[in-house]
Amino acid sequence: MNSISEILSFNFLAIGPTLALVLTTLVLLFCTITISTPVYIKKYITFSGIIITLFTIFLKFGLFASEGVNSYFSEKILVDEFSLVGNVIIGLVLLLTFNSFWKTSKEIDNKTTEALILVLMSASGFLLMVDAENFIMLFIGLEIGSISLYALAGLNRGDQLSNEASLKYFLLGSLASCILIYGVALLYVSLSISGVYETNIAINFIGPNNIPLTTLIGLIMIIVGLLFKVAAAPFQAWAPDVYQGSPTGYVGYMAAVAKVSSFIVLARLSAISLRFIIDKFDLFFTAVVILSVLAGALFATNQTDIKRLIAYSGVIQSGFILSGISFGVSGISASIFYLITYIIQLIGVFTVFSIISGQLSSDFKISNLSGLFKENKFLTIAFSVFMLGIAGLPLTSGFVSKFILITNLWSYEKYLIVTILMLTTVAGFYFYLRPIWVAAIEKSDNVIEKIKISISDKVLLGFMAALTIYFGLLPNTLVNITRWMVENYL
Amino acid sequence: MTGIILSLLLVPLISSFLVFMVPNSRKEIFRPIGIIFSLITLTQCFYLLFTDYGKTKFIILSNYNWIQSYGLEISLGISGMSTLLLLLTSLLVCVSLLSIGNEHAESKGFIGSLLALHFAVNGVFVSGDLISLFIFFEALLIPMYFLMGIWGGENRRYATIKFILYTVFGSVFIFIGTVYTAVISYGTNRALALDFDTLANLEFSSSQSKTLFLLFTFGFLIKVPLFPLHTWLPDAHVEAPTAGSILLAGVLLKVGAYGILRVSIPFFTEGFLTYKNLIAVLSVIGIIYGAIVAIAQIDIKKLIAYSSVSHMGYVMLGISAGGYLSIEGAIIQMINHGITSGALFMLVGFLYERRHTRNISSFGGIKITMPKYAAIFLFTSFASIGLPGLNGFVGEFMILMGSYNSYKILTSIAAFGVVLAAIYMLWAYQRIFTGPISNEKNENLKDLNIRETLSIAPLMLFMLFIGIYPSYIESFVIQEAGFISETIAIFKDLK
Repeated sequence: MNSISEILSFNFLAIGPTLALVLTTLVLLFCTITISTPVYIKKYITFSGIIITLFTIFLKFGLFASEGVNSYFSEKILVDEFSLVGNVIIGLVLLLTFNSFWKTSKEIDNKTTEALILVLMSASGFLLMVDAENFIMLFIGLEIGSISLYALAGLNRGDQLSNEASLKYFLLGSLASCILIYGVALLYVSLSISGVYETNIAINFIGPNNIPLTTLIGLIMIIVGLLFKVAAAPFQAWAPDVYQGSPTGYVGYMAAVAKVSSFIVLARLSAISLRFIIDKFDLFFTAVVILSVLAGALFATNQTDIKRLIAYSGVIQSGFILSGISFGVSGISASIFYLITYIIQLIGVFTVFSIISGQLSSDFKISNLSGLFKENKFLTIAFSVFMLGIAGLPLTSGFVSKFILITNLWSYEKYLIVTILMLTTVAGFYFYLRPIWVAAIEKSDNVIEKIKISISDKVLLGFMAALTIYFGLLPNTLVNITRWMVENYL
Repeated sequence: MTGIILSLLLVPLISSFLVFMVPNSRKEIFRPIGIIFSLITLTQCFYLLFTDYGKTKFIILSNYNWIQSYGLEISLGISGMSTLLLLLTSLLVCVSLLSIGNEHAESKGFIGSLLALHFAVNGVFVSGDLISLFIFFEALLIPMYFLMGIWGGENRRYATIKFILYTVFGSVFIFIGTVYTAVISYGTNRALALDFDTLANLEFSSSQSKTLFLLFTFGFLIKVPLFPLHTWLPDAHVEAPTAGSILLAGVLLKVGAYGILRVSIPFFTEGFLTYKNLIAVLSVIGIIYGAIVAIAQIDIKKLIAYSSVSHMGYVMLGISAGGYLSIEGAIIQMINHGITSGALFMLVGFLYERRHTRNISSFGGIKITMPKYAAIFLFTSFASIGLPGLNGFVGEFMILMGSYNSYKILTSIAAFGVVLAAIYMLWAYQRIFTGPISNEKNENLKDLNIRETLSIAPLMLFMLFIGIYPSYIESFVIQEAGFISETIAIFKDLK
């Protein structure tokens, strides 16, 4: 006798991480509106919520081991390699950025709980997004996550830049969401499908050459909606303003989590849904990659605000990651490798900024770094490692990711993209080395006094810098993990 | 033997970390730590010289898995040429640590960066595959960036950025070449095997060989530097601190020529045969141009920098002639130029510490106040010019002898470089040292102290030793030069 829940394959473990985060936010909410809770208890609640989330992710591996790739909740939620890797990365992003966003939230008096709830809710949304099999589910996850991020960007009400960032992010972000949901609608209108595997089956059924134009437009619109989240050109206009205006303590988290979930979903689309027609999108992807790296490099060269510089560098990195996403097992795994190493450096850089300039500050000029080295050697060295990693110097993970990506592109004979990517790398040395020069080398009268770094921050920064170098020297494990993720599909 | 190769990498790395770990209150022990550890490396290199590994062509001794799913491996190996260059590196690091003034010796960043540079250079000379070669080649830039950027001269920002961008631009071509080779290797071996043994057995088509030769050689030639690509060198030398200049001229320039001998010629011989005339012409232009520009310099460091362009032109001429004798001469000239130009930069550094200027016109007649210094400078100048009996003569003579068969006219022109060298070195010597003391600030100059004399003495010893007994140093490169020239000769016969 089958109960209805079995027929619909209810399995709450499949969305365990999302549920754990939602429950944590409910507990936090309860603590705030009923009894006045000391602030440190909220910290423990949040932290234990994150730990429980990581534990449920661990349990999901058990589910995957026993059931294999399987969909739950009547084909709404998917447990496969992509969702597992995505869950793990988002969980680790939460863990790595916990210190920053906790301190930032604490600094916003009387809105601490709201801030924490927004962070956790956005993570739960993006977890749902990487778990989604159905595009509607994907949209719901994306919206839960994004709306929380819009609010996070504008949390510092007194700051004009923060308000501007929030409004811009909200207006442009909702436009992108419209485009995405319109794409889903077009897909449904043309083929009556709205799922990851359904798309694959339908395309296979009608043959790659007979696909209606409506379907193609719908698919491109879905991809555009995702590309907006990763700030690939020409959808990058929001990124510099949002990075610059948002409270510094949140930017690392905001940037990382949106990029991770969107790229994981893009990788799944490329590996599963579009695998028979991926060459039809070749021109589109090539154009986006070239535009991204060129626009990013062009604008990054003359930035005076370092948060804007990192934003434009993010545009370049998105171009790099995207360049491998449609090229087989090696390409996708190289992209995901690049993604993981890049977000480690990204989070590290923003942790350094938030330690130097305060959690709530918005703009952060490059000249503010001058004289950092004299009293703050640890911060400067960590910062230099992250910047060199982003620039892609050998001995850091940035080099390995660029190497395997470009080797793969070359083997597909994409000489144009390779040339442009390499030229961007050279140009990158110009603007990535400049902040290091200002912070460590230039002799200036301005001395930044010794900043007290908490032990947890020190451990985190040391850990991330060590990872950057470790993956540069011994990348074998991470490459194997990223290959495991896609090798069953292509 | 693998242990020694590994320790050649690890000892400088560990010593660099050790220096950074020492608290700032113990300023006086930074220099001893550096010297002791570089002496250990020096001893290991001497030991290598007396084993069979000091005389062979390149052999790979150990492989390590790097990225298993791509079949990428890191290989380490050794050869006669590598051993000599490793010896040169350790020697120069050791003496430059001894020679620097207290201002630099008490800075842990300076000593630490110098030792990190030692690690990266050693890495280039022992790497047995393209990936690790490229990694170490690029890793050189990080310590050099800090050495030049923090402790450089007035205009260091411009010079450092120029140096970095030139080198990175060159290494992009090496990178693309590596990727291209990896893809070709994947086609044959079903793995991205890039170690030198695999590459030697790989078949390249004619166009592939030409493209790859151009890609690799362009990157390496920027580092050498060959004539039109040399403009970063004078700026970098003038702005770099003394120890940075010593290593830049002594070792970093050799990395480029080493790369050409190790990678470009043996694996992409067809490309080499196609483009060797071009390289020969450019190197002869470089020899004459560098020497003529050196005559006109008013800054002593810039003069030596341009003389480096001239001397490295000989190396490239010898390499492009491709004969047995000329390649042997090129390798020996690499070592000689490392010793002599290192010594010259060190001497200029001594003078700069005393007077804080390098302008030739602000000196004159200082032979009277610094007789010992003047004698050593003359000795080194003679070695640089190529006086028979000193080391400079050996390399240049072998190169000119060996190249004459291939390039009669070019070699005849290149021989005039020796005359020009005599003009710029001796004229500079005359203006700095002889005559009456023209500037009153020079009246109270102190002669070299014991530390400074000790740091220049080993270099002079090597100049003399190589000059009077060249067949000893030749014995280490016979096999290697023979292997490279045979590769070229066999390929020529096949055509």
